[in-house]
Amino acid sequence: MKSLAVLTLIALCSPSFAEPPPIQLPPARGPATGLAGPAALRATVFGTPPQDIAPLPDTVPMLEMDLALPWRRPVPEIFWFDKRLRVWFSAQKKPAPLAIVISGTGSDANTTKLSVLRAILYGAGYHVLTMPSPTFPGFIVSTSSTGVAGDLLQDGQDLYAAMGEIIAHLPRKVQITDVDVLGYSLGGANAAIVKSIDATQHKLHIHRAVMINPPVSLFSSVGRLDKLYAVSLGNGDAGIERFYAQLYAQLANAYRASGRVELDEDFLLGAAAEVLKTDAQFSAAIALSFRIALSNVFLAGDMYSGAGVVTDPAHPPKVGDSLEEIAEVLRGKTFAEYFNSIFAPYYLKRLPNSTVESLIAQNRLDVIGDRLRTDPDYYCLTNSDDLILDRAELGWLKTTLGTRIAVYDHGGHLGNLGDRRQAADMLAMLDGSWQGSR
Amino acid sequence: MRARMSCAVAVLVLAGCAAREVEFRRWPSETPAENNKADIAKMQGLQAAAAAAATLATPQASEQAGSGAEPPPPLVKPDDAPSLKTYDPWARLNRFTYRFNARFDEAIFLPVANGYRRFVPTPLRGGVHSFFANLTEVDSVINYTLQGRLHRTVRSFGRFVINTTLGIGGLFDIAARFNIAYEPTGFGTTLARWGMHPGPYLVMPLLGPSTFREGVGYGVDYGTDYGINLADLYRGDQSWGLGVANAVDQRANVDFRYYSTGSPFEYETIRFLYMRKQLIEDAGLHRSKPVPKPKPDEPAGK
Repeated sequence: MKSLAVLTLIALCSPSFAEPPPIQLPPARGPATGLAGPAALRATVFGTPPQDIAPLPDTVPMLEMDLALPWRRPVPEIFWFDKRLRVWFSAQKKPAPLAIVISGTGSDANTTKLSVLRAILYGAGYHVLTMPSPTFPGFIVSTSSTGVAGDLLQDGQDLYAAMGEIIAHLPRKVQITDVDVLGYSLGGANAAIVKSIDATQHKLHIHRAVMINPPVSLFSSVGRLDKLYAVSLGNGDAGIERFYAQLYAQLANAYRASGRVELDEDFLLGAAAEVLKTDAQFSAAIALSFRIALSNVFLAGDMYSGAGVVTDPAHPPKVGDSLEEIAEVLRGKTFAEYFNSIFAPYYLKRLPNSTVESLIAQNRLDVIGDRLRTDPDYYCLTNSDDLILDRAELGWLKTTLGTRIAVYDHGGHLGNLGDRRQAADMLAMLDGSWQGSR
Repeated sequence: MRARMSCAVAVLVLAGCAAREVEFRRWPSETPAENNKADIAKMQGLQAAAAAAATLATPQASEQAGSGAEPPPPLVKPDDAPSLKTYDPWARLNRFTYRFNARFDEAIFLPVANGYRRFVPTPLRGGVHSFFANLTEVDSVINYTLQGRLHRTVRSFGRFVINTTLGIGGLFDIAARFNIAYEPTGFGTTLARWGMHPGPYLVMPLLGPSTFREGVGYGVDYGTDYGINLADLYRGDQSWGLGVANAVDQRANVDFRYYSTGSPFEYETIRFLYMRKQLIEDAGLHRSKPVPKPKPDEPAGK
């Protein structure tokens, strides 16, 4: 809860003006919130209640690995701190299977959600390696071979190459008996793509892949998030300023009423439930948290591709320069604008025979549809009210995976991650004992 | 000579910290079961507090409270929110200091604090933390008095006496067991209570985000401690060792890592959050008064 309140405040840092896009991304189909209702929005914001979390081990060892990858591109000055890929490894003391977990949109390798998954997997006897999302700025700068994030296949190739390097550098005493890959949200789709790459390259011998609340079509999911943002906050500065002012006043009132002497984490934890009450506020918080992730992806993509949308390629911002104006411009940038002004121009040039339609099509899970249908080692856990899916997409997942999917009635987007039932199903999928939904 | 050697070591550490292909850093183990238990307790506490607040808000309860109850503070309205911009006339210097702090933290401060957390047993670390917290009660007693919040002066004084005696020089926080919570204050808050505005955003070397007012407050607090020189802890050679131990203890208890966001906008983000936190805390210090309406387009903190 605290993180959402803080994230919402963070998002407000980063107002808006729109430029006419050169290429049009088709508008998102269906409602802004996908299949989500009020309960799903609430679950998405507050996450799994701590009392519902699966049993966790007492301790999990933590080894941070910072890698300088040989194929790293020149690093823009303002990203000086992102030169190395940072991942986290938790080793068992005996031979064990390795579970590689990929983070969700814009997130690093040590999020709260990853901590929960790490603990559950470690407790079940796995070595656990947690990796950032290919849309995390630290990954884009240190690992991406293009610097323009969001292409499922390219990001998958970069993840796969990085996994190879990491495994080659693990401490010698670590003995791996099997390799499985998992991911949540966008990381779920990344995990499936990585396994499909391994099926042709055979370098890591990945056994099973488990997708947790994955998108089916990247651009239809982000289109829905754009819509959610427009519906809950409106376009331009007025909406975001109004939301910020409302949030500020509510926090200040809660703080004055509390009689506390410091605005600390505990206060924020208690205040979040008072500050975020309506569907519109939940929607705004969700949409904002995705926009925060987008501003970093947008800036990195702009600089690496040389598109010059928010920075001048001839005079890129330097260390010590104010980034406030860029942040203000980025605050109003949508996922569609990222696709239209950075992503599509870059990949259309890079892939000569491609079209806008083909770019959208190759960023759907059905690029590996045949594998998902026929290979018994792909699994999925999702919710029937996940806001990043529409009815057709959920139907596609069910039809494609057959009995290898667990669909829960409630939870929204990741709002039941790590709860007892979901954790048990995840572990059953990973060890091959999954018998289909009960 | 000693200073030159220290500088040379610091430069070597800072320069060499990212030289190898793979860097390993072992962190203290995570304790998921214990953390989950704490989260459940916190959640239950919040639910109980919310239920109690709802009961107090009923008309019958308000009537029972009678006319002696403190009137609710005037509401802060959305129009009272400061601008999205933050007053930062020293931005260039601040950014430089932020970068320096990040490098220093990554190369020296954080590894030392991590080693401390990994190798020093929890009860001993708890004792060290309580000891330094107890010393700050001296500043709290003086500043709560200067702020005219005498009931809090009494609380801080009581904590200091209990913990220094029953808590063996402050090594144990016995007062907390009597539900007298640790609520420190300093001269920065006293200035705020006296009506001084936060002033420009300021990143202090090693200490991090602050404002001009808080920076002055920090200096005065340090001067006060030095002047009082409780148990001769603040002067002489031993003060250096204690200063370092205090810094390590504080770092080991702060869950923050520079640039873990991976974002080049981190400086702007922290500045935005820190200044709003200050302004909301200021509003809490003057809870019986309406919050002054900000001028249009004036950056927060000016």
